[in-house]
Amino acid sequence: MTPALKISNLVKKFGGLVATNDLSLVIEDQQSVGLIGPNGAGKTTVFAQIMGEHRQTSGSIELYGHEISNDTTPERIRRGVSRTYQVPRPFTDMNVLENIRVGMMPNNIWKMITSPPRHSRETEIALSVGFAKADLTKTPGELSMGDLRKLEMARTIATGTKVMLLDEVFAGLTVAEIAQITTLIQSMRKDGMTFLIVSHDLKALEPLVDSVIAINYGRKIAEGSFSDVMNDSAVRSSYLGAA
Amino acid sequence: MNLRWTHLAMWLAFVCLMMAIPEFVSKGTLRTLIFANFLAIFAISWDVLSGRTGYISFGHPFLIGIGAYTSAILTKRFDVPIEYAIPAAVLMTMVGGIIVFLPALRIKGSYFALVTLAFMELMYQLVQVIRPDLTGGTRGMSGVQTLTRGAVNGYYMSVSLMLAIAFSMWLLMRTQLGTALSAVGMNEESVRGSGLSTTKLKLFAFLTSAFVAGLGGAFYVHYLGSIAPRALFDINFLFTIIVAALIGGASTIIGPMLGAFFLTFLLEFLRPYLPGAERYFIYGTIALLLYMYEPKGLIAIIDKYWQRTRGTFARKQEPGESL
Ligand SMILES: Nc1ncnc2c1ncn2[C@@H]1O[C@H](COP(=O)(O)OP(=O)(O)OP(=O)(O)O)[C@@H](O)[C@H]1O
Ligand SMILES: [Mg+2]
Repeated sequence: MTPALKISNLVKKFGGLVATNDLSLVIEDQQSVGLIGPNGAGKTTVFAQIMGEHRQTSGSIELYGHEISNDTTPERIRRGVSRTYQVPRPFTDMNVLENIRVGMMPNNIWKMITSPPRHSRETEIALSVGFAKADLTKTPGELSMGDLRKLEMARTIATGTKVMLLDEVFAGLTVAEIAQITTLIQSMRKDGMTFLIVSHDLKALEPLVDSVIAINYGRKIAEGSFSDVMNDSAVRSSYLGAA
Repeated sequence: MNLRWTHLAMWLAFVCLMMAIPEFVSKGTLRTLIFANFLAIFAISWDVLSGRTGYISFGHPFLIGIGAYTSAILTKRFDVPIEYAIPAAVLMTMVGGIIVFLPALRIKGSYFALVTLAFMELMYQLVQVIRPDLTGGTRGMSGVQTLTRGAVNGYYMSVSLMLAIAFSMWLLMRTQLGTALSAVGMNEESVRGSGLSTTKLKLFAFLTSAFVAGLGGAFYVHYLGSIAPRALFDINFLFTIIVAALIGGASTIIGPMLGAFFLTFLLEFLRPYLPGAERYFIYGTIALLLYMYEPKGLIAIIDKYWQRTRGTFARKQEPGESL
C-alpha cells in the first residue's frame, strides 16, 4: 500500500540556518507517529513544509503517492492533510460553530453563496471533540486553552482530513484536559485517522503513537518504538527532560 | 441562508420609512439626506473590502472616481446614452478594483493603506494633466447629464439605489461567503489552513467593493451634474467614508448605513456654529470618543440596549440574532 505521507531528503534553510537537514520519513495509512526533539529542533518547520506554508529548499513530500510540493496550502488540505498550531489560531469574533463552519466550507465562491451551512454536522463535530452544548455559541475569548486546542482539532476534522498533524497538543493543558484529548485521539485512531504528533510531554505521547522519530538540528537522530527511541543514547544526550 | 421573517419585516419597515420621508421634511433636509444616501453606498463599499477582509483602503475615492469620470466622460464627450455609460463605468471601476487588489497579494496593514492612498493621489494628478480636454482638468466637468430633477426625485433615486445595494449586500453577507470574508479579516493564515483560497476571497471582496463604488460614483455624478476633482479626491471625503463605516459598525451592513446618516447630520448640525474646517475637528473627536467607547460601533450600542430592553421582558434570546 502507498504510505499516507512520505518525506524524502527534505532540506530547509533559513539563510545560514539549516532547520531541516536531509530528513526522510514514512507514515503508513492509519498509523500514528510521534515527532520529538528539543526546542528549536525543527519540528514545527517540518509541519510548515508539509502544509506548504514554507517552501522546502529541496526534497520531496508525497501524500498518498502524490507529490504535493507544488500545491498551494488549500490544495494540500483538499488532498487530505491538515494541521493544528502550537499557539491556537481561532477566528476571534466567531463562536465555536462558526469556527468549525469555516473549516467545512467548499473552496468555491458560488457554492459558499448558494449552499447553506450544515448546522447539524457542525454540532456533531463540536460534540465529538468534547465540547459541551453550552459552549457552542461561545467565542474563543471565553474558552480555556484545552477548549482552544479542541477547537483547532475540530476545524481540522471539518476539512475532512485523513492525515492530521498535531503541534504541541498538550502544551498548557490541565491533567484533566490532557486525559480528554488523549481519549479523543485514541477514538480517532480507531476510526482510521493517520497522525503525526509533536509533543514535549512524552508521557502523554507514549500511549498515542505506534512509533517515534527524534530529530535534532533538523536531522533525524533516532527512529523506532517509543521505548527504543527513549533509550537511544543520542536522544538521551540531546533531549533534556527525557529522563 | 438563515433568513428570519422578523428581519424581512424590519427591512420592509425601514424601506417604508425611507420612502415616506419626503412627505415630512424640507427640501434642504432632503438634499442632506441625498448626500447621506450616497455616503452610505460608499461606506458599504468600503466596508465590504476593508471592514470584512481587514485590508484598510485609504484610496476609496480612486474607485469612486473611476466610476464617476467614466460615466461623465462617456455621456458628455462621446454622447453615449446614460444606460450604457453607467454599466461601462461599473466595469471600469471593477478593473480599478483589480488594480487595488494586486498589492494586496503581497502587502498588508499600513503599507497596503499607503499604497491605496497613493492610487488616489495618482489619479488626482492624472485627471488634471492627461487629456484635460476629456476630464476637464483641474476645474473638472459641469453640465453632465442628470438623471433626476429636483430634490424629491433625487432623493427617491438615491434612496432606491442605496436600499437596493444595502439589501443585496445584506443577503450576500448572510451566506457562508460573508462568514468566510470576515474570517479573512480575523486571521488570514487560519483561513488558508481551513482549506480556503484567500486570494479568491480577497479578489471577490475587492470586485464587489468596486462594483458598489462604481455604481455609487456613476449615479452620484449623474445626480450632481458635475464633477470636481478637488472635492472628490479629498482627504476629508475619504475620512468621512471610513469614519462612517467604523462608527456605524464595521463588518455589518446596517452599521455603515447608520454611520453615514449619523455623520451627515452631525456635520449639518455643526455647520451653523462652525462653518469652517474646525467642524471636521469636532466630528473627528466625537467619532474617536464613540469608537473608543465601543469599537464595534453604533450598531453594537443599539444592539446591547435592545438586548437589555428585551431582557427586562424576560424573553429568551436566540443565538446569533443580531443585525
Ligand atoms: N521563519 C523562520 N525564519 C528563520 N528561522 C526560523 C523560522 N522558523 C523557524 N526558524 C528556526 O528554525 C529552527 C527550528 O524551528 P522550529 O520552530 O521548527 O523548532 P521546533 O522544533 O518546533 O521548536 P519548539 O519545540 O520550540 O516548538 C529554529 O532555530 C528557529 O529559530
Ligand atoms: Mg514548534
